[in-house]
Amino acid sequence: MIELTNLKKRYGRTLAVAGLNLSVAPGEIFGFIGPNGAGKTTTIRIMGGILAPTEGTVFIDGINMAQEPEAAKRRIGFIPDRPFLYEKLTGWEFMKFSADLYGVPEDMFYEKGAESLKMFSLWEWADGLVESYSHGMKQRLIIAAALLHDPTVIIVDEPMVGLDPMGIRMVKDLLRGQARAGKTIFMSTHSLGVAEDICDRIGVIHRGALIATGTTNDLKRTTGFKEADLEEVFLKLVEEQVPA
Amino acid sequence: MREFLTLLRPRYLAFRNNRTGKSAGNRRAQLFLMGSIGLAFWMGAFAIFYRILRYFQSVEGFGDILAYKLLSMTLLSFFALLIFSSIVTSLAKFYLSRDLILVHALPVRPAKVFLARFAESTLDSSWMVIIYSLPVLLSYGIVFRAGFFFYGAAVMALLPLCLIASALSSCVVMIVAIVLPAGRIRSVLIFLGLILFLVLIVAFRLMRPEQLVDPEAFASLLLYFKSVSTPASPLLPTTWVYDGLRTALTGEIRASLFHLSLAWSFAIAAIYLCFWTAGLCYFAGFSKAQTSPEKLFSRRPASKKKTFSLWGRLFPGAVRAFIVKEVKTFFRDQTQWPQLFLLMALIVVYVYNFSVLPLEKSPIKTIYLQNVISFLNMGLAAFVLTAVAARFVFPAVSIEGEAFWIVMSAPVSIGTFLWIKFFIYYVPLLVLAEILIVATNLLLHVTPFMMWLSATTIFLMVPGIVALGLGLGASYPDFKSENPAQAVTSFGGLLFMLCSACYIGLVVVLEAGPVYTFFMAGLRGRVLNLIQWLWFIGSFCLVLLLSVLTVVVPMRLGIRNLKER
Repeated sequence: MIELTNLKKRYGRTLAVAGLNLSVAPGEIFGFIGPNGAGKTTTIRIMGGILAPTEGTVFIDGINMAQEPEAAKRRIGFIPDRPFLYEKLTGWEFMKFSADLYGVPEDMFYEKGAESLKMFSLWEWADGLVESYSHGMKQRLIIAAALLHDPTVIIVDEPMVGLDPMGIRMVKDLLRGQARAGKTIFMSTHSLGVAEDICDRIGVIHRGALIATGTTNDLKRTTGFKEADLEEVFLKLVEEQVPA
Repeated sequence: MREFLTLLRPRYLAFRNNRTGKSAGNRRAQLFLMGSIGLAFWMGAFAIFYRILRYFQSVEGFGDILAYKLLSMTLLSFFALLIFSSIVTSLAKFYLSRDLILVHALPVRPAKVFLARFAESTLDSSWMVIIYSLPVLLSYGIVFRAGFFFYGAAVMALLPLCLIASALSSCVVMIVAIVLPAGRIRSVLIFLGLILFLVLIVAFRLMRPEQLVDPEAFASLLLYFKSVSTPASPLLPTTWVYDGLRTALTGEIRASLFHLSLAWSFAIAAIYLCFWTAGLCYFAGFSKAQTSPEKLFSRRPASKKKTFSLWGRLFPGAVRAFIVKEVKTFFRDQTQWPQLFLLMALIVVYVYNFSVLPLEKSPIKTIYLQNVISFLNMGLAAFVLTAVAARFVFPAVSIEGEAFWIVMSAPVSIGTFLWIKFFIYYVPLLVLAEILIVATNLLLHVTPFMMWLSATTIFLMVPGIVALGLGLGASYPDFKSENPAQAVTSFGGLLFMLCSACYIGLVVVLEAGPVYTFFMAGLRGRVLNLIQWLWFIGSFCLVLLLSVLTVVVPMRLGIRNLKER
């Protein structure tokens, strides 16, 4: 479960996140959409413990991120938008590195790591240095490593960037499967089709503030559209916020 | 011309935006500090050369020969530095920079792209050599009472030297990039490192500097200098530049212009050769460099369980993860290898120095001199350690690069992360420092007291130096740098070296008095009185306290800064 209370983040004079209040329940896939520079990545990084908020609190499974960051992070599988990795490690070594960091027992790792790499079609490349991987392969490796410790909360920033159609399908199925298993999933995306496809609830962020939340149907009702797709709903919501 | 300037514009704009950015005030302070240090070195170089030249002038019969020989050697050293710096810079500018893909995608002729890169590479590789050659030439001008022509000639002599070094190095790099398999371009650096290592060792051995303290050998050295006062090879660019400067010093304007013309004509020819080579093979080499880097040595495929079993038994999870990652990434990064070779060269030269010290020929009593040198050696070894730490420990946090998110999102506190890094670097540096100290003390045949004192003091100082490097490295990290190893030349790097020098100086000053008293009492068979004992113990307690503070304060600063990012 994720709970954000009055979350704010300032960069100098810029208010990147303006008092977010949000709760995502176990088994739910929450989609976070918004235009470029709306504050999605900043929010996600605060939730992952990578950035400290200026104000407000983040609770992960009831654990306060500011007070017990290690315990909170142990429950998170964090997948960033850009796949920066240790280029001089092999894929397998990176998996082991993650397993060691997150306390995955050694015996369990060998089975699970291999299974995971096979699932992400990386097993053949397991002994290759990460620097020789393509963008998509790196992204898949990060996802594989993030799920290794069986996190209860999965935070994903733009999961489909760099993935081929097969990879996208696989990640969609994977996220749905994880949600069915009771995991809390928080996902930011620019791909409205993906959000519409797999998210139980969607939040629209604009200029650091949450301007709408609900299911796709809720959002359609809010904007007065009945037959429109999420793209039109999104554009309408954002346009309404543009100052005259 | 317009396209050429446009290609250089991002560099200028980045520089301008840096000056006017959010933390411009901070940068001004940094610039002031770095400028002051640079100026101090500049003035120091001037003072040293001025003093040496004045001394040479007082040596009857040999003064001018020695001064000219020094000028010739200095120019040769500058040229060697320029060549090495140009090779490293042109490799980065032509093949490794991140913006190359964007630049090559622009609708600009490859020759223009090359020209812009060549200009940047020449400027980057030579500005520092030019700045630090000016005090040398200024001291020559003043001591030889040269006219204005000499100063103009000095500028006109340095420019072709830089252009020649850059053009020749670029040619070599482009040819190597074609010959070597794609992706191995960084391996060239290993090759260069090895060559530099061998050159250093051989050059040092050939110089035999220990002879300078032997009056008989010194006399023959002067005779040697006289015998080699004939000009060096007329085919060397440094010879034309040297001849141009020498004749300018003595007011022979025509001869000077002739020699400088030789240098300039060769510079133009070398640039033409460089562009001709670029037309032939630059783009092909660049295309090759874009493929995935190949392994220099093939690795055993991950035999899964066995790979980590040893580490698994020794350390708990997070510690094991970081140790394995750190060690593997360090040794697999081929750009680190030349640095290791240099480090080995440094140790060999350092220890060798002590093995050839002709202490018995000194008028001062040998046992006294041996132990004084041993005491000063502690400080010297700590300075060597600072240099090593500046290269390896200071960038240890920056080297995480853009992958630092992995650390930040991991269930490991920043404190734990930094302390793990501390111990990863502390252990090898402690071993290195103790080897330096014990080996040199054995060569000096010092007393057991001095051996014990040096080994203990260095044992206390290594954690301080490592923590200073790591803590300040974490306080001034650069996660976006293309080459984090260069972080040492940043403000934080200079601050680290300054703080480390102050720390070493304080330890040496605190220990010097009581150690001298203790040592002399032992030598004269006297017993220390109560006050002297209190002084001795008090000083060592202060050294201990200072060392603890040097570990704790910078580490805390580093942890706090990383947390607040």
